[in-house]
Amino acid sequence: MYEEVLAKGYTRRDFLKFCGMVGAFLGLEYSGVGQIVKAMETKPRIPVLWLHFQECTCCSESFIRSSHPIVADIILDKVSLDYTETLMAAAGHQAEENLHATMENYKGEYLLMVEGSVPTKDKAYCCIGGNSAYDILQEAVAGCKAVIAWGNCAVSGCVQGAAPNPTGATPVHKLVKGKPVVNVQGCPPIAEVMAGVVVYMLTFNRIPELDGLGRPKAFYSRRVHDTCYRRPNYDAGLFVETFDDENARRGYCLYKMGCRGPVTYNSCGVIRWNDGTSFPIQSGHPCIGCSEANFWDNGPFYQHLASFPGFGVETTADDIGLAIGAVTAAGITAHAIATNIRKRKMIREGILNPEPEHDEDDQK
Amino acid sequence: MAKRIVVDPITRIEGHLRIEAEVRDGRIVDAYSSGTMVRGIEKILKGRDPRDAWAFTERVCGVCTTVHALASVRSVEDALDIVVPPNAELIRNLMFTTQYMHDHVVHFYHLHALDWVDVVSALKADPAETSRIAMSISHWPRSSTGYFSDLQKRLTRFVESGQLGIFRNGYWGHKAYKLPPEVNLLGVAHYLEALEWQKDIVKIHTILGGKNPHPNYLVGGVPCAININEENALNNERLSMIKRLLDQAKTFVDQVYIPDLLAVASFYKDWGAIGGGLKNYMAYGDLPVNGIRDTSGFKFPRGIIIGRNLNEVLEVDGTDADQIQEFIAHSWYEYEEGDETGKHPWDGETNFNFTGPRPPYEQLNVEGKYSWLKTPRWKGNPMEVGPLARMLVGYASGRDEFKEVIGYALSQLNVPVEALFSTLGRTAARGLETKLISGWALEFYDQLINNIRNGDTRTFNNEKWEPKMWPSEARGVGLSEAPRGALAHWIRIKDGLIENYQMVVPSTWNASPRDPKGQRSAYEEALLGTPVEDTEKPLEILRTIHSFDPCIACAVH
Amino acid sequence: MRYHTYLSPKKFKLMEKIRRIYVWEIPVRFYHWVNMTCIIVLVITGYFIGNPPAIQSGTEAYANYWFATNRFLHYVFAYLFFFNFLLRIYWAFAGNEFANWKQFLPVTKKQWNEIFEVLKVDILQLKTWSFESKGHNALASFTYFFMFLAFVLQCLTGFGMYAAMSTSWFPQLFAWFIPLVGGDTAARHIHHILMWVFIVFAMIHVYLVVYHDYVERTGVASSMISGWKFITGHKHHD
Ligand code: HEM
Ligand code: HEM
Ligand code: NFV
Ligand code: SF4
Ligand code: SF4
Ligand code: F3S
Ligand SMILES: [Mg+2]
Repeated sequence: MYEEVLAKGYTRRDFLKFCGMVGAFLGLEYSGVGQIVKAMETKPRIPVLWLHFQECTCCSESFIRSSHPIVADIILDKVSLDYTETLMAAAGHQAEENLHATMENYKGEYLLMVEGSVPTKDKAYCCIGGNSAYDILQEAVAGCKAVIAWGNCAVSGCVQGAAPNPTGATPVHKLVKGKPVVNVQGCPPIAEVMAGVVVYMLTFNRIPELDGLGRPKAFYSRRVHDTCYRRPNYDAGLFVETFDDENARRGYCLYKMGCRGPVTYNSCGVIRWNDGTSFPIQSGHPCIGCSEANFWDNGPFYQHLASFPGFGVETTADDIGLAIGAVTAAGITAHAIATNIRKRKMIREGILNPEPEHDEDDQK
Repeated sequence: MAKRIVVDPITRIEGHLRIEAEVRDGRIVDAYSSGTMVRGIEKILKGRDPRDAWAFTERVCGVCTTVHALASVRSVEDALDIVVPPNAELIRNLMFTTQYMHDHVVHFYHLHALDWVDVVSALKADPAETSRIAMSISHWPRSSTGYFSDLQKRLTRFVESGQLGIFRNGYWGHKAYKLPPEVNLLGVAHYLEALEWQKDIVKIHTILGGKNPHPNYLVGGVPCAININEENALNNERLSMIKRLLDQAKTFVDQVYIPDLLAVASFYKDWGAIGGGLKNYMAYGDLPVNGIRDTSGFKFPRGIIIGRNLNEVLEVDGTDADQIQEFIAHSWYEYEEGDETGKHPWDGETNFNFTGPRPPYEQLNVEGKYSWLKTPRWKGNPMEVGPLARMLVGYASGRDEFKEVIGYALSQLNVPVEALFSTLGRTAARGLETKLISGWALEFYDQLINNIRNGDTRTFNNEKWEPKMWPSEARGVGLSEAPRGALAHWIRIKDGLIENYQMVVPSTWNASPRDPKGQRSAYEEALLGTPVEDTEKPLEILRTIHSFDPCIACAVH
Repeated sequence: MRYHTYLSPKKFKLMEKIRRIYVWEIPVRFYHWVNMTCIIVLVITGYFIGNPPAIQSGTEAYANYWFATNRFLHYVFAYLFFFNFLLRIYWAFAGNEFANWKQFLPVTKKQWNEIFEVLKVDILQLKTWSFESKGHNALASFTYFFMFLAFVLQCLTGFGMYAAMSTSWFPQLFAWFIPLVGGDTAARHIHHILMWVFIVFAMIHVYLVVYHDYVERTGVASSMISGWKFITGHKHHD
């Protein structure tokens, strides 16, 4: 760092002055410029800004549950978490100052992490420090190196984006132009997945390989169903018929309880949750598909098929299909009867294409 | 002239909270609390399957995750008259107690501690002295001089890197910090230990609910089936893991949280007279041991205290349209019958009506509407809810357990019972109830084992699972105690679908704007009289506000 | 026979005009019956995938494999269904006029007139005399057009879903389609609804084939086997 500064034609005095200014920024009265100089001469930890918008903060909560690496090591040794409303000591103006200091001092270098969606129906649906989420996001995106969208909220709008989406909750990738966005899905994402993505980006200094939806392939390329330990029961056709029945107590497949494992891409079956302790299916509840876009609107959770729109609760395509089939059968029967009456002569005569006039002849 | 100071964002909380305060002569003379983010989850719930509501409402908050799910399944069960099996109740209680232990410890160390602990001062501490203090207050093993000096070195390295990350720009060196460097170092050590510990305790949720945050619930019981002879169910291995985690949790609460709480409090006794605020307290009560209908069996009793009168506990009824009402005179909503009226949640409405200044703005128009929170009232009265309310209701109900822990804390600190009505009292009450809960959790565990031993492994009641078994119209209420206070969900079901769903959440009670009569709610009232040494660094505001453990995603939803 | 006595001399003359024509070449017939078999198997196995019956509880997973076998069958017939369909598409360009793709797109006024005629004659029975087409009648063609679209959609959703559970290159060609409809859940839903579309189509289709045979004696039912139909040629469009 010091060499770089000298190379650009600055003197040692300029450099020390810069360090003094940074010292003032840090709000550390006791800390001498010497310490800052030392810090500046070593490689800085990557600055991270973590923004909070329309969220429930479970993504932050999940993040601090990480066991490998543990979160203290990440925030003390690996990154410099310069802004997160959930954990930072500073508040109010001091908090906003931290945000802006990093945006200015580390232009083009900081990682932007976003938790929560951004309301677009009215910017006033989410404001921080008097500024709208929308404006804050745009300002922070401008100088960032890359964006990590945490969780279903930031990736696809999650619960507040469910129909009728009253606030116009919008995912981050739809509002970010010109910067790579890593979509870390889940409601919330698994802690170790979150930490894994961060560590990957720090270790290899690039974004992980992503799938078509911008999700890191390492964690979202397989369906829960394909890594589910209950899968042999599925293949054997052994299903839980109702909660807490004999089959549930034997740990059979939860498909008929509405399990979304077959349509959900996540690593729950492999990494599992909270240091590998369990995951929804293991604890007896079907997967609700929490890492899929719009999973809230994919029909009632405890039904395999979504209810047919416009019909009551539990009315599936099968009910509608069966009804239409029955109506069709009835229609066919009616038509057959009508035909036998209306066209009885033709049928009797067994004639191929009689001309219309003949019909009249026959009437006489 | 009073000076208007604005603190936005209030950090180390959940959600988006803005405080505007008028300060005159170093004291707050008026205050306004505003929630600045809205999602409209009550609107989203309409027309959905009531059995799914728990998952939607659970996403109201990832910090107090599970409590909304619990209130939700209870509201549906109340509406449909479903009785859950005893094991389901015990498992829900285990999830509940786990949530409290986690939430309160994280609040104390990671959200609240930095209001009292000066991290930078810890660099000057003598590790040997820290070790001596630590051993004098607790048996906790990680207390050697070497341990603290290693930690101090790590902290020094961190600070000298010049990148202070989450500690940057804190109010370090503020005159209101009173702890000696050695206690500050202890605080920092336990900040990190608690960060490690908290990820273990939630594994109980993971075992019983599949994940944390946002474990799974089920209308009619719990999803995890019990079968001690099956690898795929709640078996012996799983149960003993729960037991181990509960034991560890109790040890941590007894040997770290409570000693730290008392040690820190002993330096801040002046805060036993600051931040009292409202004089009314309300608790719905929770932790049933004999079914949800037998409120007398609740570990946390239900009741109301008016005017800090600890000799009388009034009753609260969630179904009474005259008791609980929500107002929106100062909230960005509109009611069909006019914005001055109050609505019982069964008939509640959530219609957005933003009338505030367009962002970016400097100041809110506090004369008009100024928050996304509604304003709940009990018979027209503002109520404080939360750990303090629960402890006071328990105390005033004459429960020995409550009297014992409160008496213990008061005598350790040598303060009168009035000191409870304060910022310090609120923070202490949270620790004390955690102590009670860490013991109760083991009782629930033992009962569960006992039931299984006696051959009862039922966890789910199937009778009313199918919507065809439901009446065409039904309504219910699910009352609960969330970590931050009294929580309830009201539901109306019509033809198998949700017709109306309203939540009145603890932080809504505490953080709401004033009501049509101009009465302040708990945050605003508690800030009155709070000293502010330096209006540029309003540390004291954070202390009082943090003592409530705000959750604004909850409060607005 | 009794009915013959009703025949007027004019009609006898008409009958003399009857001639056999070759409409369905072998590839069309082959396609048709393979397709029908596939659809029957796919509907049955697909229905079970969507609604597995509650059987065999209490047995061990390793002792059973019926559900996986059911799915295996579904995929085998899915491949057959797809490539058979490709064959038909090829024949829509290579085959005779009755097999040609132009049959299925009602772009000419003549075709539209015929559609309304058929509606009046066969469906609403406003007229009792019959309308004669050499190949498919225009209404039938039109419905087949929609069926072919449904086949495409069923393959896109089916192989799209299959891409996630297969390592073979072929289903991967369809993977792009899933995000387009909004994910696997939506794809499944569409796939499932189309099953009902096929069932209902088959009911009506088979009925109408039998109806035409019964009422008009054109031999249309057997034509899909033999390739030959009977027509008088007095009222068809050349
Ligand atoms: C007439 C044609 C077809 C019919 C009627 C049919 C019907 C069905 C039905 C009803 C389901 C169950 C959906 C649910 O409720 O989850 C299903 C599943 C499926 N079908 Fe088809 N299908 C047809 C063609 C195809 C084709 C061409 C493919 C291509 C590979 C295909 C692949 C699949 C797959 C992958 C599944 C999901 C199976 C699983 O997850 O185990 N289907 N089908
Ligand atoms: C699942 C059942 C069936 C399906 C999906 C089906 C589908 C089709 C399709 C797509 C065509 C157009 C063929 C082409 O131009 O390539 C067709 C024509 C035809 N099918 Fe079927 N078919 C089914 C069952 C049957 C059966 C059982 C019969 C006979 C008894 C039959 C008799 C015919 C005849 C005669 C035609 C030509 C008639 C016309 O042009 O109207 N089909 N069918
Ligand atoms: N207020 C609140 Fe909650 C709690 N405790 C919920 O009911 O925090 Ni998120
Ligand atoms: S994705 Fe889910 S868990 Fe994360 S903030 Fe959104 S609602 Fe909460
Ligand atoms: S439980 Fe769910 S994910 Fe597991 S095998 Fe069954 S359907 Fe698939
Ligand atoms: S509900 Fe979510 S946590 Fe995993 S098992 Fe399903 S994706
Ligand atoms: Mg509400």
